[in-house]
Amino acid sequence: MDKASHLSVILDLSPTQWQLSAQSNVSHPLTLSTFVSHLLAFLNAHMACKDDNSLAVFGALPGKSVMLYSTTTPMDEKAVAADANTYRPFKILDTTITQTILDQIESISDNDVEAPIDIVGALTKSLCYINRVTNPANSRSEDATLLPDPRILIVSVSPDQSSSYISVMNSIFSAQKLKVTIDVCKLHVADSVFLQQAAHLTGGSYISIERPDALLQFLMMSFLPPPSIRQLISVPTQDKIDFRAACFCHKNIVDIGFVCSVCLSIFCQPVPVCSTCQTKFPMKTLLRLKAAHPHTPPPGTPPLRSGTPANSLPRSTSIAPGGTPRQVSNGNPNMLPVARSNTSATR
Amino acid sequence: MPPRRINDSYMDVDSDESDVSILDDDAGPRKSKGKGKAIDRGRDKGKSKVKEQPYAWEASYVRSWDTVQEDERGSLQGAVQDLIARGRRKRLLAPAAAIRRTIIRHLIILLDLSSSMMDRDMRPTRFDLTLQYTREFITEWFDQNPLGQIGIVGMRSGIGERIGEMSGNPQEVLKSISERHKLEPNGEPSLQNAIEMARSSMSHLPTHSSREIIAIFGSLTTCDPGNIHDTLDECVKDRIRISMVALAAEMKICREICDKTGGQFSVALNEGHFKDILFELIPPPAQRAVPRASGPGINPAADLMVMGFPTRLPVTSPPALCVCHSELKSEGFLCPRCSAKICDVPTDCDICGLMIVSSPHLARSYHHLFPVKPYQPVMTMEGVAYPASACHGCAVPFREIATPAGSLATDGMSPLGRYRCPECSNDFCGDCDVFVHDVVHCCPGCGK
Ligand SMILES: [Zn+2]
Ligand SMILES: [Zn+2]
Ligand SMILES: [Zn+2]
Ligand SMILES: [Zn+2]
Ligand SMILES: [Zn+2]
Ligand SMILES: [Zn+2]
Repeated sequence: MDKASHLSVILDLSPTQWQLSAQSNVSHPLTLSTFVSHLLAFLNAHMACKDDNSLAVFGALPGKSVMLYSTTTPMDEKAVAADANTYRPFKILDTTITQTILDQIESISDNDVEAPIDIVGALTKSLCYINRVTNPANSRSEDATLLPDPRILIVSVSPDQSSSYISVMNSIFSAQKLKVTIDVCKLHVADSVFLQQAAHLTGGSYISIERPDALLQFLMMSFLPPPSIRQLISVPTQDKIDFRAACFCHKNIVDIGFVCSVCLSIFCQPVPVCSTCQTKFPMKTLLRLKAAHPHTPPPGTPPLRSGTPANSLPRSTSIAPGGTPRQVSNGNPNMLPVARSNTSATR
Repeated sequence: MPPRRINDSYMDVDSDESDVSILDDDAGPRKSKGKGKAIDRGRDKGKSKVKEQPYAWEASYVRSWDTVQEDERGSLQGAVQDLIARGRRKRLLAPAAAIRRTIIRHLIILLDLSSSMMDRDMRPTRFDLTLQYTREFITEWFDQNPLGQIGIVGMRSGIGERIGEMSGNPQEVLKSISERHKLEPNGEPSLQNAIEMARSSMSHLPTHSSREIIAIFGSLTTCDPGNIHDTLDECVKDRIRISMVALAAEMKICREICDKTGGQFSVALNEGHFKDILFELIPPPAQRAVPRASGPGINPAADLMVMGFPTRLPVTSPPALCVCHSELKSEGFLCPRCSAKICDVPTDCDICGLMIVSSPHLARSYHHLFPVKPYQPVMTMEGVAYPASACHGCAVPFREIATPAGSLATDGMSPLGRYRCPECSNDFCGDCDVFVHDVVHCCPGCGK
């Protein structure tokens, strides 16, 4: 741990999901305030590890994303009351983050509550921020070896939004280019196909936490050490990765798709013309594909029915229950049974 | 069996066609002969811009520092700003149309690691320059061929050396050639051994993928254990396309290999030309007239393909037999249609014939399809009631006062350092503007 490390934390602050999470009929309820107290302990630990460690916290809210805190923005330190029992920098950090989270949640209007969570905005912002702090031209020291090791931790409570597939993938590839590790901490909801891929492709860990009330322990044991020393302390690795993609026509998540050979757009059913690059496909191919997949709904069928990708061949029921539509849209709980059955298939 | 030394004049005896540029084995006159040949080539085949260029080792001193101009105060700031502005303008002019991609390419790069690579006719040495250009080539190649895979084989001490396994991850490929000291040139190269090694690692590939070899060859001899013409025939049979970039001079056997397999052969005149001819090999090769096994009715230009996106099993999963090698393995991929276990993707499922690719490979090209709209430079803050105080991307505070317009004569630059997204009307700093358009390809404000 000779190098300083920069940590960008992305908090999923979906009011709906946190409401669900706090309900007492959930097996292990976790309220937002308990979550914040666990998180602050973790952030303090990160700052305490090394003097030069830096931190940025981003919030993903319905329809927007904001930077909640960063070590580089000057703070109004006088606004924070002194506390004899707390190390002052920690106190400032804790107070600022708690306050900004409260402010942001207060500012959500009732109409916005159901808007999709802007996880992409928060992710791209954190990448822009990392791009700035790791750029040798902007750093005080000329020595490139003194630049911090960047990583991102996403704490996610919402299901995937398949409409953001392309943006998430683009963010993942830019993280790869910047050599940023993306860690994912998933609470409550079913596995996220996109975030699994994010962690896998950037060499981070994806941990789905079954006991949210033990969150702090997971954070400390798995996400505190920087990636460079993770091999030595054997952090839990990903169980299995789902490489499904979202189709361009209905934003359904598909496991078998029809791909345009020119632009590589994915469709969930045979289409005569590529909607992205306007390429016309040969009639022969179309007829052949339609013959091979006779149950494919004709184009124009509502997206819900076409959720099952065109595959008439017998398939193992342990992989996907026959009739279950594999459509996942924002807040659609259909994702849950599919993901569970996927897991059971391999064990 | 120890490698038998075969030089080119010997190979020429084998073929009935005579060539004026037979290369001698002894080192003495080789350069002058090679030079004569290459300049001939430059005249009849090369582009007009390289016609007058001499060989790298003939050229005089290049004063590279003369190209950077300081301004009156002796600062480089102006030159740097100019570069940035040029980049911005180029982006504004770029066409928004979709770029044509190819399907699946497989490429093995053969690097000559023989002692002839230590020649200094290309600065700093042939070897260092090759490494540098190969790195740039790999990055660019993956950008244009998102579903492609690259493997690297070295030619050193008479044997072929596997340096990097076939991989679709640019970082992994780059890592395999990142350590210079592990690639230190030594001994004689063996073209046959290296091609055989490359051929064997491409034998399992599905029919729809291309098989290509690009050799960067600095030596004038090859030291082979058998008849290289047999290897050549095998490559033609396997439809492997071999292209070569020679750093020294043309060799008859090299040209023959490239011609027979449908590849390109060129001799690098100097550093710049070397890069040009190497990068000419990045765009996908034209479809060969030979009708493919998949049937003559298919239009090669555009088609709809069925692809499956697999599930990856971790190392910790219970071992099971794979369908491709019948080996007991933990890791692997599951075919989404028939749940067969497959060792590696992309491939065709052995059970149901589905083409299986990993979706991230497809996704790597999507930023070409949906580019971020260029941000507009903000020229004045008048009329804006509550201007954002910080960049919407990286939260760096904007400067309050505009820099005087005189010092920023270059167009496309905002005097306030603000660039606005036309979709979401958020302001971004210059750094983020470049970063969003060149790397992220997704606006932090609107996600488009
Ligand atoms: Zn669709
Ligand atoms: Zn297309
Ligand atoms: Zn196998
Ligand atoms: Zn199969
Ligand atoms: Zn910025
Ligand atoms: Zn925007």
